[in-house]
Amino acid sequence: MKTKFFPALVLSIAAAVSMRAQPSFAGPMPSPAVEPDADVRREAYHQRINEVLHWYSAQAKPGVPYGREVILAKLALREDRAEVSRSVITYMKDPGTGPFWMFPVVAMSLLGQDQLTPAAKQALRDMWRTTYQVRGDTENHWAMYYISLYLISELYPNEPAETWYTGKSSAENLAEAREYLIHWMDLATTVGQGEFNPTGYIAEYAVPLSYLSTWAKDPAMRLRGHMMLDLLFSELAENSLNGMLRGPNARTDEGNVIERWNAITSYFNWLLFGNTVPPAGYGGFGMFFALAAKNYDVPEVMYRIAVDRDRDFVARDLKRTRRRWRLSDQLMPPIYKTSYMRKDYAAGSYQGGLADPIQTHVWDVTWAVPDPRGVHNTMFSLHPYSSNDSMQMYFSTFPEPMIPNLAVEGKPSYDTPTKVVGSSPYERVFQDRDTVIALYDIPPGTRFPQINGFFSKDLVNLTEDKSGWIFAQGGNTYLAYRPLAAYKWIPYLHRNGGWAKEEKNLGGQLLVSEFLKNGTIVQAASADEFRSFAAFQAAINSLPLEFKLEPVPVVKMTTLRGTRVVFTYGQAPLVNGARLDYSKWKLFESPYLNAEKGSRRITISYGRMQRVLDFSVPSITESATPTP
Amino acid sequence: MTRTNHFSPGWAAGLRLLALLALPAAGRPLAAAAPADFYLCAALNKGYVTGSKITTLSGLFRRDGTGAWQHIGYNDLSIAAAAFDPRDPKVIYTAALNGCWRSLDGGKTWRQTNGWDITEGRDVAVDPHSPDHVYLALPDGVAVSADRAQTWVRRENGLPDRGKYTQTIKVDRAHAGRVLAGCESGIYLTENGAKSWRRVLPTAATVDDIQQAWNDPRQWAAVTQSDGAWASIDGGVTWKRFPGVPADHALYNLTFDPTNQRRLAIASWHYGVLTTEDSGATWTSRNAGLPEPHRVARVGVDPDTGRLYASVVNDSLYTSDDFGRTWRRSALEGSVINNFITVPGPAK
Repeated sequence: MKTKFFPALVLSIAAAVSMRAQPSFAGPMPSPAVEPDADVRREAYHQRINEVLHWYSAQAKPGVPYGREVILAKLALREDRAEVSRSVITYMKDPGTGPFWMFPVVAMSLLGQDQLTPAAKQALRDMWRTTYQVRGDTENHWAMYYISLYLISELYPNEPAETWYTGKSSAENLAEAREYLIHWMDLATTVGQGEFNPTGYIAEYAVPLSYLSTWAKDPAMRLRGHMMLDLLFSELAENSLNGMLRGPNARTDEGNVIERWNAITSYFNWLLFGNTVPPAGYGGFGMFFALAAKNYDVPEVMYRIAVDRDRDFVARDLKRTRRRWRLSDQLMPPIYKTSYMRKDYAAGSYQGGLADPIQTHVWDVTWAVPDPRGVHNTMFSLHPYSSNDSMQMYFSTFPEPMIPNLAVEGKPSYDTPTKVVGSSPYERVFQDRDTVIALYDIPPGTRFPQINGFFSKDLVNLTEDKSGWIFAQGGNTYLAYRPLAAYKWIPYLHRNGGWAKEEKNLGGQLLVSEFLKNGTIVQAASADEFRSFAAFQAAINSLPLEFKLEPVPVVKMTTLRGTRVVFTYGQAPLVNGARLDYSKWKLFESPYLNAEKGSRRITISYGRMQRVLDFSVPSITESATPTP
Repeated sequence: MTRTNHFSPGWAAGLRLLALLALPAAGRPLAAAAPADFYLCAALNKGYVTGSKITTLSGLFRRDGTGAWQHIGYNDLSIAAAAFDPRDPKVIYTAALNGCWRSLDGGKTWRQTNGWDITEGRDVAVDPHSPDHVYLALPDGVAVSADRAQTWVRRENGLPDRGKYTQTIKVDRAHAGRVLAGCESGIYLTENGAKSWRRVLPTAATVDDIQQAWNDPRQWAAVTQSDGAWASIDGGVTWKRFPGVPADHALYNLTFDPTNQRRLAIASWHYGVLTTEDSGATWTSRNAGLPEPHRVARVGVDPDTGRLYASVVNDSLYTSDDFGRTWRRSALEGSVINNFITVPGPAK
């Protein structure tokens, strides 16, 4: 019924290569020192790109036709042309379909223009005539599909309809692709991206956009590709804590959520900014970005945003949900996202409700660690929502088949009560800097009527205080977690994303609270702010706090930072007596990223440096304002 | 086990309706025509994920003279429906994930007829009285073509801004420009080629299928996700609920038996196969012989033989020559059938 559209190959590549040593993956954590010399930074960036390409090229096996990644690495390195051509012909004998298949084949064609034999080029060209390509049904599918269609139609201009699987001429394909891509960029820069801050799917945007910015013949489209990369990576820089992207995330999975570093976003942080180490196999799809990465210069303003964590800052962004076909009075309701970043930790959230039907992570507090590999450095709670209605809201499917299919389609935890990924229509969240309040009002009869709080194996000094607060320390961060209803502890059993069927005990616990009207308060602080852990606990216990759960959950409190909050489920929060007005939320608002809603104009800034992306022109303008 | 659902005495209105449905045929019975063409849309989804190799053959299949299913056209898991130009059966339209595809040469070559702004076609229908007009059911409404799907326009005047998810669309074969659309918020009717729509049956959730009886074009039936099954004897203007059909779970599709006007069948993930042989007065579960759990995606009836087909999800196609009393495992192992399509042969 529902076609499966999941990046199987990301996982298979990562799994296949993870057993072999990779220099940076196995190496030490990079120095956190900021590199002021642009030439040194550029040289290091190119070295990292070369590491990826050479590592993949070295996977070639004598006497065996090269696989896709080896073909591409060797094309990028301009190696073994004869064998690469023979391997392309072999590879094209058994084609796949869909956006994940399309963009690497486009890269072969473009990298191989002056390297492949005529027969290999013809094999590539013939595939676009003979093999139907499915477009997919998500924002990332369409980015991959239409950038691929755009570039390949540009590469073979003036060819008739019968030479394309679409039954349309090169010009028709090009026009359709261009129109969609501009429409999509328009949406992203006026009301926000749908698949915002994805931990895995960032590659599905970054890779094709890098191809567009490298190989588009139309200068305006090439520039647009570059600008979207700037936007994507600026958001990554702003939202990453020492190279780890944290929540919220429109789409993610269990592995990425509990071990925040272990996501392909860390590959991009490593490659672009050098501030962490890459995950195994360079995240799988990471190698596809390396193919054209040398054509992307990391702007200094972006580098500085990524590596400077000496300054505390709040960022507020506007995003949108995935497209809702039905069971909703809006097609793409807005997402109001809040992020608070400090040197020792970060807190992030959106206001709750469904963003994506399966893979959303709504909020967390994540702490910094010297080496994040294997560390579960995060805390959050959620309602483990599972519903046919949710599937039908976002997919053109009948109600029942999708959930059973998810178990074999890369989302095995979706219909489990102890999952740690997913948004719920019965969760409302408010965040003020490092205070997060999540309220739950779950209707009777809802599947999995419970709240799951994630307590990492890496927390220390876990203390259940008689006041009702649970105190703990992660890294240099003190954490206070207040469940608003009774709870029990169970072991956290990890079910990784992808096709993992088994549950693994990696340590850690779940706080499970089986009350329909419920809530969680988390307050974080740096250990440097207090004389001792006991002093932090005393400070939390002295905070004015009232709450009730009937008829709807309400929390009235003063935060550690002195903000007076009244948060009632289903109502906009009162902050220091004033009602929070989400309608005033800007597209971006922070010390680093700023844009008005509907403006198509994003300003990226750091100190004196400023880079303005104006999609209405399109143009990139760099300037440096005078030092105050 | 079979179970017969007798309607309650309180449903007298339904009884009168069903009696009307059982009236002698007012139209041409399909069996009086030359042999019909019978197609299905199948997805054989064995471990395929986007980007992986294609290991199965999916899409449009035509029943050949031996009863075997022969693949036509391109390999696509996502074909939800197909329609044919009555003037030329080589003109084929499919509703699929990419939108709507068209072939002018019997499936040898295809064109994706739509741009990016049309996606996830759910159903497609050709107006037999005006075959250049093609109607496309979409998750965000309805598109209409007046030039054999060369171009599309949105025709949604009268459909709600929200609630116009359209799962099924059927053209009244007795009247040009008369079309019924099954949407999230009910059944909508147009009598002017989709220039305007009006709701003729409100529902709480999506209408999954609408079918027109073969013997009498005034008779229609529909199934829904949460409101049970419905019948109309006035061309879809007014609707009455079929008593005896459960409504606690979704009903996926409904089919009339072209060879026997009193027989209908319903497919459901939860209920399996439900049949009636008395024009809807009583309904019986016909799952004995189907594998457990009998998750049935679609039922269809061979227009020439009356053979009943049931698609058990990811299992196989099953056939019954006694309208569901016994079943035999048939072809297309591992498939889900998204649609059965009957194309009447020329009148004798």
